[in-house]
Amino acid sequence: MDAIRIPPPAELDALEDEHFRQVVRAFLHANYPEDLRNPPKRLHWAENKGWYLRLAEAGWLCPGWPKENGGLGLSPAKQIILTEEYERHGVARTNDHGIVMLGPLVIKYGTEEQKQRFLPKILTGEHIWCQGYSEPGAGSDLAALRTEAVLDGDHYVVNGQKIWTTLAMDANWIFLLVRTDKAAKKQEGISFLLVDMQTPGITVRPIINLEMHDEFCEVFFDNVRVPKENLVGQLNKGWDMAKALLGFERIFLGSPRQSAYALSRLKILAERMGVWEEPAFQDRYARLRLDLEDLKALYGTYVDRLKRGESLGPDVSMLKILQTELFQAITDAMLEIAGENAGLMEPMEGNRDLNIGGLYIQARPATIYGGSNEIQRNILSKNVLGMPG
Amino acid sequence: MSAAETDDRAESIRMIRDSAAAVAPRGGDLKRVRDLRWQDPGFDAGLFRQMGEMGWIGLRVPEALGGAGLGVAEMCGLAEELGAGLVPEPLIPCALSAQLLAACGGKGRLPALLAGDAVVLTAWQERADTLEVPGSPDAPRRFLPMAAGADVFLLPLREGGRLALYELPAERCAPAVERTQDGGNLGTLQPNLQDATKLADDVGTALADALDEAALVTAAYLLGGMERAFAMTLDYLKTRQQFGKIIGTFQALQHRAADVRMQVALTRASIDSAAAALDAGAAGDARRAAVSRAKARAAEASLRVTRECIQLHGGIGYTDDYDAGLYLRKAMVLANQYGSASLHRRRFMAASPEVEE
Repeated sequence: MDAIRIPPPAELDALEDEHFRQVVRAFLHANYPEDLRNPPKRLHWAENKGWYLRLAEAGWLCPGWPKENGGLGLSPAKQIILTEEYERHGVARTNDHGIVMLGPLVIKYGTEEQKQRFLPKILTGEHIWCQGYSEPGAGSDLAALRTEAVLDGDHYVVNGQKIWTTLAMDANWIFLLVRTDKAAKKQEGISFLLVDMQTPGITVRPIINLEMHDEFCEVFFDNVRVPKENLVGQLNKGWDMAKALLGFERIFLGSPRQSAYALSRLKILAERMGVWEEPAFQDRYARLRLDLEDLKALYGTYVDRLKRGESLGPDVSMLKILQTELFQAITDAMLEIAGENAGLMEPMEGNRDLNIGGLYIQARPATIYGGSNEIQRNILSKNVLGMPG
Repeated sequence: MSAAETDDRAESIRMIRDSAAAVAPRGGDLKRVRDLRWQDPGFDAGLFRQMGEMGWIGLRVPEALGGAGLGVAEMCGLAEELGAGLVPEPLIPCALSAQLLAACGGKGRLPALLAGDAVVLTAWQERADTLEVPGSPDAPRRFLPMAAGADVFLLPLREGGRLALYELPAERCAPAVERTQDGGNLGTLQPNLQDATKLADDVGTALADALDEAALVTAAYLLGGMERAFAMTLDYLKTRQQFGKIIGTFQALQHRAADVRMQVALTRASIDSAAAALDAGAAGDARRAAVSRAKARAAEASLRVTRECIQLHGGIGYTDDYDAGLYLRKAMVLANQYGSASLHRRRFMAASPEVEE
């Protein structure tokens, strides 16, 4: 690769798009650990810490934050290019809840004191955040959450339980949606609270998922005392704030990259199993291929909208549904043609490209997380098609 | 394209779409279309002439040859509007003939065709579900759309390594006509070479290129039909009551409607990106891949969507009085015209074997 000069962080947003893309490629080439490319599982802090701190050191950690808060101040168009290149390179997700969720929320709604206190520690990697939203009784119906915070002098006292808290065992801070008014309509009695995980009364219990991986946790709160200055925004306005933060990042749930990766593995497997030339397989593969190409075209129309500075409407739910269901259909095909190899715990023949069962299992939660596909279809029918009820 | 060029282009496509309202008024009823069903020739020659006057038949023909010199995206936009109104006049096959005659330097009946005074059909097809043009001297030419109203046939003939083009007047060579599900007809022509006049020694790739475009424009016509049929269905779901409720409140129906919406969105994205690729000069495999992708999607989605529309209407959807069925029958005919979904999937894979990660 030609030596491309990597400009200081503050200059990145001013680059022409294609030049910026080349800079991102060069940066990844020079900095991303080779052994972490395309990891089969979500990495823990111990594994991705080196990369996270390298990003922090380079000033690249927070692409979407404004420059005055220590971010790169990238436009949506450039953030998309950055993400495309990360995906292409097989860059693992970091423990990024502070970067993509909490940081933007504090920047938008936090007090000056809260910004000074929390943002720099995200930028240095000192604070690793996790997100406490879902509860056992509040999944798709998140606004039914019951974990409550009651004011007692200068503190809120928190009691309740969160679940599906991704990488909570790695985090030292958690941001919570808590109920602060039980009498109000369910969306209107919710507040946003920041909690130090070292506070007495917090218990974290990992959950083993179908990948046999401890990616998420249950987090229990038993009379946890949280200083009242840790409330972000107005009391009982937490729901609106959390919703307002569902920004253009939603488009990434519909990125065709995951399906493109799986489809190329389906081909490798089909050749290995000797079915590639079969007309029945060819037709099935062609259908999946065309689904992928049309999804790419549709995804491209949303990227173009963002590049023109438009915001995304509820119809972006289509991308998530189409992408995740295609990903599953591809792994379904892999399972069906692999014979007994499909049931193996480890990749077939020790070849990471032939991780049949692993990919099949990995595809399952895609239609559940980020708003299940059933919820996405509700959104489409009510908010896009204007269906009643 | 610069932002200004993009805006100009969008404006040009919008104007073409608006002009289509002269023939297929938005929100208009389908009485005219119903009245023409299964009558010979299956369309209105006067309206076809009007299409000529509006410059539609030569939309893709260069201005120097009397056409409008507009792009594939404009043609697709127009076809979409006509598809929404189920307009039966044979614009797509005649536009194909116009492109072919234009590629030969404007020979034969091109001026009359562009004016809408002559219906000129290209008799290229020798078997079902193909885009190949063998150009056999004696093989019957099959599946000529709206052949009952043809004035002139163009006959491609293989001569050595070249594809020559002949012209045959319809009055000397009447096609056998079969009626189609949508109320139109398909003709079979037994070519009579004594009456044929040679127009060109070699049309090169012009016919293959025009067939590609016709496949894509047919996809756009199907998209227009899908959208209109789906809009009708949404209206129905929002008004029909059963069990004391509007049936659109039932989640099972909401989710089916969401699935239909996604198929429509994929079809639009596929066609728009193919039209943009062709307008940007895509050639060879890239061109074939773009067209086949869009036609495969439109063929399958149009049948799926119109079927769903019938089901979501219930019994009323199965009556001939109700318009939903008209859209299904049109899809049954056009899904396989200029190549079925299955043909286009194979063609796509041949043109674009590798997935880009």
